Amino acid sequence: MERARQLEKYLCKMSVLQTWLVQALFIFLITGSIGVLLDPCGRINPESPVVQLGSNFTAVCVLKERCMDYFHVNANFIVWKMGHFTIPKEQYTIINRTAASVTLTDVTSLNIQLTCNILTFGQIEQNVYGITLISGLPPEKPKNLNCIVNEGKKMMCYWDPGRETYLETNFTLKSEWATEKFADCKTKRDTPTSCTVDYSPVYFVNMEVWVEAANALGKVTSDHINFDPVDKVKPNTPRNLSVSNSEELSSILKLTWINSNIKNVIRLKYDIQYRTKGASTWSQIPPEDTASTRSSFTVQDLKPFTEYVFRIRCMKEDGKGFWSDWSEEASGITYEDRPSNTPSFWYKIDPSHSHGHRSVQLMWKTLPPFEANGKILGYEVTLTRWKSRLQNYTVNDTKLTVNLTNDRYIVTLTARNAVGRSDASVLTIPACDFQATHPVMDLKAFPKDNMLWVEWTTPSKSPNKYILEWCVLSDKSPCIPDWQQEDGTVHHTYIRGYLAESKCYLITVTPVYADGPGSPVSIKAYLKQAPPSKGPTVRTKKVGKNEAVLEWDQLPVDVQNGFIRNYTIFYRTNIGNETAVNVDSSHTEYTLSSLTSDTLYMVRMAAYTDEGGKDGPEFTFTTPKFAQGEIEAIVVPVCLAFLLTTLLGVLFCFNKRDLIKKHIWPNVPDPSKSHIAQWSPHTPPRHNFNPKDQMYSDGNFTDVSVVEIEANDKKSFPEDLKSLELFKKEKVSTEGHSSGIGGSSCMSSSRPSISSSDENESAQNTSSTVQYSTVVHSGYRHQVPSVQVFSRSESTQPLLDSEERPEDLQLVDNVDGGDGILPRQQYFKQNCSQQETSPDISHFERSNQVSSVNEEDFVRLKQQISGIPQSCGSGQMKMFQEVSAADAFGPDTEGQGERFKTAGMEAVLDEGMPKSYLPQTVRQGGYMPQ
Amino acid sequence: MDLRAGDSWGMLACLCTVLWHLPAVPALNRTGDPGPGPSIQKTYDLTRYLEHQLRSLAGTYLNYLGPPFNEPDFNPPRLGADTLPRATVNLEVWRSLNDKLRLTQNYEAYSHLLCYLRGLNRQAATAELRHSLAHFCTSLQGLLGSIAGVMATLGYPLPQPLPGTEPTWTPGPAHSDFLQKMDDFWLLKELQTWLWRSAKDFNRLKKKMQPPAAAVTLHLEAHGF
Repeated sequence: MERARQLEKYLCKMSVLQTWLVQALFIFLITGSIGVLLDPCGRINPESPVVQLGSNFTAVCVLKERCMDYFHVNANFIVWKMGHFTIPKEQYTIINRTAASVTLTDVTSLNIQLTCNILTFGQIEQNVYGITLISGLPPEKPKNLNCIVNEGKKMMCYWDPGRETYLETNFTLKSEWATEKFADCKTKRDTPTSCTVDYSPVYFVNMEVWVEAANALGKVTSDHINFDPVDKVKPNTPRNLSVSNSEELSSILKLTWINSNIKNVIRLKYDIQYRTKGASTWSQIPPEDTASTRSSFTVQDLKPFTEYVFRIRCMKEDGKGFWSDWSEEASGITYEDRPSNTPSFWYKIDPSHSHGHRSVQLMWKTLPPFEANGKILGYEVTLTRWKSRLQNYTVNDTKLTVNLTNDRYIVTLTARNAVGRSDASVLTIPACDFQATHPVMDLKAFPKDNMLWVEWTTPSKSPNKYILEWCVLSDKSPCIPDWQQEDGTVHHTYIRGYLAESKCYLITVTPVYADGPGSPVSIKAYLKQAPPSKGPTVRTKKVGKNEAVLEWDQLPVDVQNGFIRNYTIFYRTNIGNETAVNVDSSHTEYTLSSLTSDTLYMVRMAAYTDEGGKDGPEFTFTTPKFAQGEIEAIVVPVCLAFLLTTLLGVLFCFNKRDLIKKHIWPNVPDPSKSHIAQWSPHTPPRHNFNPKDQMYSDGNFTDVSVVEIEANDKKSFPEDLKSLELFKKEKVSTEGHSSGIGGSSCMSSSRPSISSSDENESAQNTSSTVQYSTVVHSGYRHQVPSVQVFSRSESTQPLLDSEERPEDLQLVDNVDGGDGILPRQQYFKQNCSQQETSPDISHFERSNQVSSVNEEDFVRLKQQISGIPQSCGSGQMKMFQEVSAADAFGPDTEGQGERFKTAGMEAVLDEGMPKSYLPQTVRQGGYMPQ
Repeated sequence: MDLRAGDSWGMLACLCTVLWHLPAVPALNRTGDPGPGPSIQKTYDLTRYLEHQLRSLAGTYLNYLGPPFNEPDFNPPRLGADTLPRATVNLEVWRSLNDKLRLTQNYEAYSHLLCYLRGLNRQAATAELRHSLAHFCTSLQGLLGSIAGVMATLGYPLPQPLPGTEPTWTPGPAHSDFLQKMDDFWLLKELQTWLWRSAKDFNRLKKKMQPPAAAVTLHLEAHGF
């Protein structure tokens, strides 16, 4: 424990010692360095120089012997430096062994650090001494010394100190009486150009004042001024300014105020200004009226019932000294006076007047304040008819509607205020039959200085007054006129209402004579025009091969925004340059000529007012390739020529008909009348044949015939050939298996068309089937051509089957191919019984061909239709569908649909037949064999 | 042209000569007054100004003295104020005074009054009152200077104050407080009377001096042209 305490003590001592040591060392160092500073090697003379800017300065450095000995140097080793810059040797002068001087010429820097150094040991520069050279300018003589004595305060003098000296310059204001000197007034640093003396100045005792400016480079005194302080007084502002009016005189206001105390010492004059409330410029009361001390003043020649604002200031009467500040503003209103003018007065007659009476609206304008001279309490209207007083009205409004007879009336109007009433404004409302005459002449309206001026020539008869009416012309709103009255001596004026720019105003001037109004004259005008807000929409009226007639509508007045001076039509082709054509504003049509034919033109149109134009929408049109009538000129002759040729041909044919008939139209023998037709024992009576009826009514389904067809793989066969081959085979099979059965006769229906060309026998085999090809066979030329001529069908049962059952298609293909024969049976769902054999089909098909067959056939067909038995309907359908599937068109169901459609139309002719089968028959069979 | 230039120079020289021969008064040299007229007018204005000043100062000071001195009808006998110069004088005597005597009496009176007033200043209690008194003293000093100036203008020597009669303010136990106040009262009263009288004096002098001043001007103009 004790040990620890000792250690602590020891440590404490140590730290104290350490601190002491540090302090001692610090003090030693400080004293050492001060010692060096205090004992420099030499000195510069002068020590703290102030030199004038631009002058020369010489400093001398004197070295001490001690140093010279120590460093082995003399004055020759002195080097002068200005900051870090060594002054050239040329500026040095060696005075003696210990002293050398340097001369700085034209000192321009304000603050220069100049040091004297010695070169020790040849090279090392050692600083000896340094001075700071301050430069500046001596003060200029202060000018424009003046003093001001604010009333009740001490005197302040101010002056113009002159140029900047760059040195600390003191200004001292000195003042004295003839007998006594006053204490100097020293300027404060922040206000070197004015000084407020310590004492209150004594009026009426002249004093002399001047300013002394002094700095390190000199001292200068201003001119002395000698004055009586009372001549430098700025009085205090007159206070409590008040304004009062007089009931007797509406044109005066009396001002009163309280003068400052200085009025006891000096005489004052005043400056009074006034203005109407709201005005910006002040009017001045003539100074001579207020040139003496006073505390009230009456301002005259003021307007009645007007608020005026006043202010006042004062100064010494003789004008020596200063004006006081302006007083606070005070305002007052002059008393009312009777209205000094009559109100503008006009009337309007309601156009829808009943017999013997008319409704007249009298209207007038409120008087402007400077004429009303007070608050208008009401208006009095008097109506006189033939000098007999009729009625008096007292109105508060500015209009009055009265019912008058058709006679002549005289109306008077007066405005009334608290003081009195105005003169009467008289208006004559003429009788109904009055004819207005003497209009104003040369009416002009033009904008000037942002106002719309109207000018006219006075009519020969001098009017009492003029009435100007104006309204905005617009398609959207009706013309609601505003109006104003002008004196009879006036012949130009401006419209005093609010006018909008780019609106068309219709201005009407009516002279008013003692006996009634004259004829009105109107004119349109714009206060300021603008480009139209919309351009005109151009369109073509007629387009020719080389010209186009354009037309457009006049712009509505609401979008015109000014007078339309002209139009410009711009037109161009797709690629060509734009062409502009100027058109007078009176036109609404223009013909563009020398256009190129069969070309797209783009045309637009701009309308121009005085202020600019506006484009309308673009319109495109195409010039036709041919001019009108050109096509006709070509077509008509061609047609005529054709007709003529045809006629000639017909004539020729007619002449030579026997010959032609012999070649083209040989007599074809009628197979029905042949003996072979009667050969078939199963042939049903032709005229009773109707497959459908037969099919359903008979319900003959049990009698199914089975046809076996050998499938053929050959797909590449042309269809004609395919079917041909098919038919050949079928023929064989029919002959082989089921001759005479209805099924086979169904099959054989198509056979004849194929076999026609090569086998006449086959045709004859097929019961009642008339083959097309047999028609042209010379062998039957004596028969009459019949419908059977066109009957044909290449449809084969296997193909039909294959379409309905795709799995069988392969088999059909095989059959077509001929090799790899895969015999297969074709089942007819419906039995083609004996009745449904080939003749049905031929009938059936025949009907489909009707449209394309000649008239004769058609007639026949008609006859037959009724007797057609309905048999083999479904079977027939299947067969035809199959044919189409195997058709060259491929399994195109759409195509089939189309075909169905066309067939449907044709089928209408034959009511009893299923429409959907017809087309296939037509297409399939009609042309293929040909 | 030459002739005109010569004329101008001649006129200037003439003017300079006239100015040179004007009574050289040191006190007025600086003001450059052409004659006694303006300075007399100014002195008259100054007396009026001092009257105005004194009116407010006396009111304040008498209030400071307290009742009965501030009562309007307080009119004590003139006791112990014999040293103050008397302004009241018989009208006949006053009328018979010549300008020099008149100015001299004024000068002497104000010299004395100023001395007493300075003593008053020392006693005054409030700063405002001291300030007013100081300003009044300065003004009165100015009046003395003005009178001296007028006298100098008119060529009258300033009265030399006799060494023994130099008035000095003797504050102390000799006077009782009331008597002291009485002295102050009379000092202010006498000052007022003297200012009235001076105003009359200078008004009279002003009127008297105007014609000669005009004559001098006329003479100068005649000589100059």
